[in-house]
Amino acid sequence: MANGIRNRLGVHNLSDAQVTALRGAYAQMMAISDNRGYAFLAGLHGAPSWYCWHHQQNARSAQRMELFLPWHRAYLYNFEMAARSQVPDVTLAWWDWTLRPPRQDGIPAIFARAPSGQTNPLASFHIANVPRVKPHDTTRAPGPTSDLPTASDVDDVLTRTDYSDFASALEDIHDGVHGWVSGDMGVVATAAYDPIFWSHHAMIDRIWWLWQVKNGNGNITQDLLDVVLAPFNFRVRDVLNVNDLGYDYAAAQTVVQINPAGGA
Amino acid sequence: MARAPRRSRRLAKGAPRRAPKAAAKRAGTVDSAYRPKTPAKTYTSKPVPIDFAGPGHRFVRADLEIRGIYHGGPSYEGRIFLNNPRADENTPRQPEYGYAGSFHIFGHGGCLGDPGHCEVNEHNREPFDFRPPHPLTPATKRVTVTNALRQLAVKDKETTITIVPVVAATNELCDEKDVFHFEDMRFLTYN
Repeated sequence: MANGIRNRLGVHNLSDAQVTALRGAYAQMMAISDNRGYAFLAGLHGAPSWYCWHHQQNARSAQRMELFLPWHRAYLYNFEMAARSQVPDVTLAWWDWTLRPPRQDGIPAIFARAPSGQTNPLASFHIANVPRVKPHDTTRAPGPTSDLPTASDVDDVLTRTDYSDFASALEDIHDGVHGWVSGDMGVVATAAYDPIFWSHHAMIDRIWWLWQVKNGNGNITQDLLDVVLAPFNFRVRDVLNVNDLGYDYAAAQTVVQINPAGGA
Repeated sequence: MARAPRRSRRLAKGAPRRAPKAAAKRAGTVDSAYRPKTPAKTYTSKPVPIDFAGPGHRFVRADLEIRGIYHGGPSYEGRIFLNNPRADENTPRQPEYGYAGSFHIFGHGGCLGDPGHCEVNEHNREPFDFRPPHPLTPATKRVTVTNALRQLAVKDKETTITIVPVVAATNELCDEKDVFHFEDMRFLTYN
């Protein structure tokens, strides 16, 4: 897009070259064992670091600590930047789980296990060196496609005008998709090790952005704006506008060519 | 919420604030989470009055709010049935069966820390403890049940509330049978 803003695309709209770039970025991150690598970043969410925000309230006041959406936006941003350090121009892709056959049947094909003798870094990751988690390749046990959220479910969420109401409803949809995928994606401890995690959350982030395009930041509680989204160097207010983070979810763009000569 | 609640009722008390012992007593290592084959235990409340939703009482929205939900164990869908205490995993999610909606819990998958790691003690924090809340601070879920409650209240003065947990992902550290623990629940109506 213009002005250096990158556009995150739906998985179903990726070109072959874009899929190759995404796989390349994940594969290279998976091969890195330091804090630029896949294992380190995945481990920030659940085991072993447990930084993620889900379901939480602040027991000392009535203020609900509704940081689920902003924390995961900061998380995805850091993951995407780490991916772009490996493969410039790659972007995260969102998994639209509302699509139904024949366009898509459950888990998109790009995340499927590769035929014997080949590898697909989007299908699985080998978890190792996480305390109390046996070394293993991540697995999935998806439910029936009909149990995934529908476009109507998303539309219903988008009609909510109160931030708290919206955020809670969207988080519930999010919770359901984690359970639908099941396997490692199904529990907080190991969810982020499954490569489909990032595309699921890009979808959640996109829906929040669609809501923001319509409602602005709504009545998000002022007290939340300066809460730090540890371990990232963002406060909530820093992640409210995705364009400030260098990306967008535009469905379409039309570049208007300007005649430098200033013709009619 | 744009509108102030017209009326709320505390309907039922659930589990104590502390995490269920079953979630904390097991130690060891975990493999991939899996989808269990046997159903989890359902919860049914005592009959609670719903006269506040009956004919002549105007409201545009009714929510069932469930507070203090434990989320340290498996992930599950909590299906809500009104006046159907026999509901189970196979009960159709249709209004004629009392189905009112559902909520989802994305569970931690058991305690992967050392003893005490998953014990929540938020109410005893010292005043200058500015660390974030414990990740397992209990959850609150709200499910909009307007139509189900309105239709039921036309003919009945009270209802039971049945929660059928359908476990989606669990592991060796979790009690996959006894998953739904909460502090209390209430109806909220808005007009």
